[in-house]
Amino acid sequence: MIECDVRTCTGCRMCEVACSCHHFGAVSPALTRIKVVKLEEIGLDLAVVCSSCAEKPCLECPSGALTAGERGQIVLDEELCNACGACVESCPIGAVGFYEDLPLFCDLCGGEIACVNACPTQALSFREDYRDVSLEAFLTNQGSSSQRRAQYCRVRGEALRRSWQNGVRIDS
Amino acid sequence: MRNHRGNCLRVDLTRHRIIRDVTPDRGLGGRTWNSLTLLREMKPGIDPLGPENVLCVATGPLTGSKLIATCRFIASAKSPLTGYLGDSGARGFFGPEMRWSGHDQIVFTGASDHWVYLWIDNSRVEIRDASHLIGLDITATTVQLRDELHDPDLQVAAIGPAGENLVKYAIISCNLARAAGRTGMGAVMGSKKLKAIVVRGEKPVKPADPRRFDEACTRFQSVIERHREFQARRRYGTTRIMNSLAKIGVLPAYHYQSAVFEDLEKVDADALRRNHVVKSKSCYNCNVFCSRYNYTDASEGEGPEYEAQAGFTVKCGNSDLELGVGVSNVVNRLGLDCISTAEVIAWLMECRQEGLISNADIDGIDLSWGSREALLQIPEMIARREGIGNLLAEGTRYAARHFGPGAVKLTAEVKGLELFSADPRGIKGYALMNAVNSRGGDHYRGEPMIELTDDEDLALRRVGYREAAHRLEDKGKGALVNYAEHLGLLSDSMTICKNISCCMDAMDFELAAEAYSGLLGEEVASDELWEECSYAGQAERDFNLREGLVPEEDTLPARFIDHPIPDGPSAGTIINIRKLVKDYYQEKGWAQHD
Repeated sequence: MIECDVRTCTGCRMCEVACSCHHFGAVSPALTRIKVVKLEEIGLDLAVVCSSCAEKPCLECPSGALTAGERGQIVLDEELCNACGACVESCPIGAVGFYEDLPLFCDLCGGEIACVNACPTQALSFREDYRDVSLEAFLTNQGSSSQRRAQYCRVRGEALRRSWQNGVRIDS
Repeated sequence: MRNHRGNCLRVDLTRHRIIRDVTPDRGLGGRTWNSLTLLREMKPGIDPLGPENVLCVATGPLTGSKLIATCRFIASAKSPLTGYLGDSGARGFFGPEMRWSGHDQIVFTGASDHWVYLWIDNSRVEIRDASHLIGLDITATTVQLRDELHDPDLQVAAIGPAGENLVKYAIISCNLARAAGRTGMGAVMGSKKLKAIVVRGEKPVKPADPRRFDEACTRFQSVIERHREFQARRRYGTTRIMNSLAKIGVLPAYHYQSAVFEDLEKVDADALRRNHVVKSKSCYNCNVFCSRYNYTDASEGEGPEYEAQAGFTVKCGNSDLELGVGVSNVVNRLGLDCISTAEVIAWLMECRQEGLISNADIDGIDLSWGSREALLQIPEMIARREGIGNLLAEGTRYAARHFGPGAVKLTAEVKGLELFSADPRGIKGYALMNAVNSRGGDHYRGEPMIELTDDEDLALRRVGYREAAHRLEDKGKGALVNYAEHLGLLSDSMTICKNISCCMDAMDFELAAEAYSGLLGEEVASDELWEECSYAGQAERDFNLREGLVPEEDTLPARFIDHPIPDGPSAGTIINIRKLVKDYYQEKGWAQHD
């Protein structure tokens, strides 16, 4: 799975640019499978992407178009997909995109991972031990995909914000 | 390039009518489009805060592309502060989002009779009621709009109380702390009763010649990453300037009375990083990520950049960095330009020191150097036009007249626009830039940074004079400023961050031509880019001449002329601004003013 360190993510969105250029040769927030949340009022930034979570609620696809691949990535069968958007709504952290009648899942670029390579602070990393990650705590997240991403970021950044309050600074 | 025209949205705020059009038939995007629109469409002599002013907001063909730091939007109108051409750019993320919405330029005319915001959701555009947002600061406005439109990813460019109250140096701000700060574009927005522009965009920016464009992007990235200041800029951002300027003796301590600040180590880049910086922040698609998030007991926010950091410490004689950072956060929320605000306060403090005004003149506020009360209260009073704030909201040129000729002599402004936090006498290229450029007292039209490098080969290559590499030399400064203005105009058209393109000398006309050619899929020559910048630069000058500019205004504030820098490493340095301006006029082929 791809993981983002909330302490070192600067919110630059170079990962989004790398992702959309890698898959589409163009830049747009609609084309990226990794999305940067920026909670500017509390200084948090976090790149949100499919966590290959233990729960995988997206797999409850009404048309059976989704399966889990061997690296934990979600694989879409475009023939079976009827663009109902259930997977987009099911993701607790809003990590499923949607463009031109097809859901967009992180496919780990089929090898070299573009976003991880592009991250200028190494906040993004690839971990093989994806099965450990549970998003159960976020299954109650509400609202649009971007609102669910924001709720996820808020929780992921709580410890960091506590550390700032306790006097921890960038070079501490 | 001349065949390329972007999409223009014309928003008539008087009639609440929206028309789709195209951008001007010349120009390279961004500021060049805006300046041409204003020259062609605005009636001369109009009231900058009346409905006849035209507010242009533009991105460019490269905005929101893969090219690093193509993050800005440019807002332009007749400036209420100077009466001449006003424009300012903001970094962050609004520009790219606007570009992805499929709108390259928005031209606002007229004025609404009630408060509104513009809501752009890709191709759907609506003028909406904003009465519930009035009085909210920039942070609260942004959070409220993202909340009520159910999308925290929306990009918002807003004004704060300062813009609503027509403070003449009010900003338009996006991402809470990225400002189109100079020349009062926020006041123009306020005069049109436009509280915010909200945008969501999803249309892909796709290069027509991907291989050529990718090559240009890769080249640019590698120029940046190989730059000798790359790591330092990542670490400190613009705050490193304070130590650099101290070293060469051009700090503006106690409002330019000294080039030495005794408590420098309490307020410099390291002090800031040690005490208040909690993380790095970045604008769109930038590998330098030079911005920082600050956290103090009293407040938090993005920044400060050098100008706020130095303006609210060194310039105002304040050694309490936490206070300075707090003022920076407050000013961002209120929607005030940090450069003009710091200058207003520092100038007032010097006036009090000289006995030209008393504490009673300014509502009993303690105006001693570094006064906590002054630094915290004056910005609030200006933004809300309370008490003396109502006068100070007009800018130092206007306010000084109220206090008499002695107070006028202490001002540091050109054409009404307040100066930056550096002493122009010891950096002659910057001095000339402040004297002659299209928006008044301002260093950021283009940065004549080559004079700080001592790199004679670079100076020869860029501007044709080895001497231009040295800050105290007069020779070659006309050519240097002309080059820097062209590069600035190019950057403001590409909407690229000038800290990278100009200050790091990372962009040049050849590389820009490759980027434009790759993106547009047509041959764009570097000469053509230079010529378009010359053409738009001349249009800006023509605009100002039409508004009554006379060459005598191309000068520095009286306090800097014929008075040497009093102390520090540049002690004794004087500046012959007439000679420098003459050299610049010659470079431009303009008539001499004497």
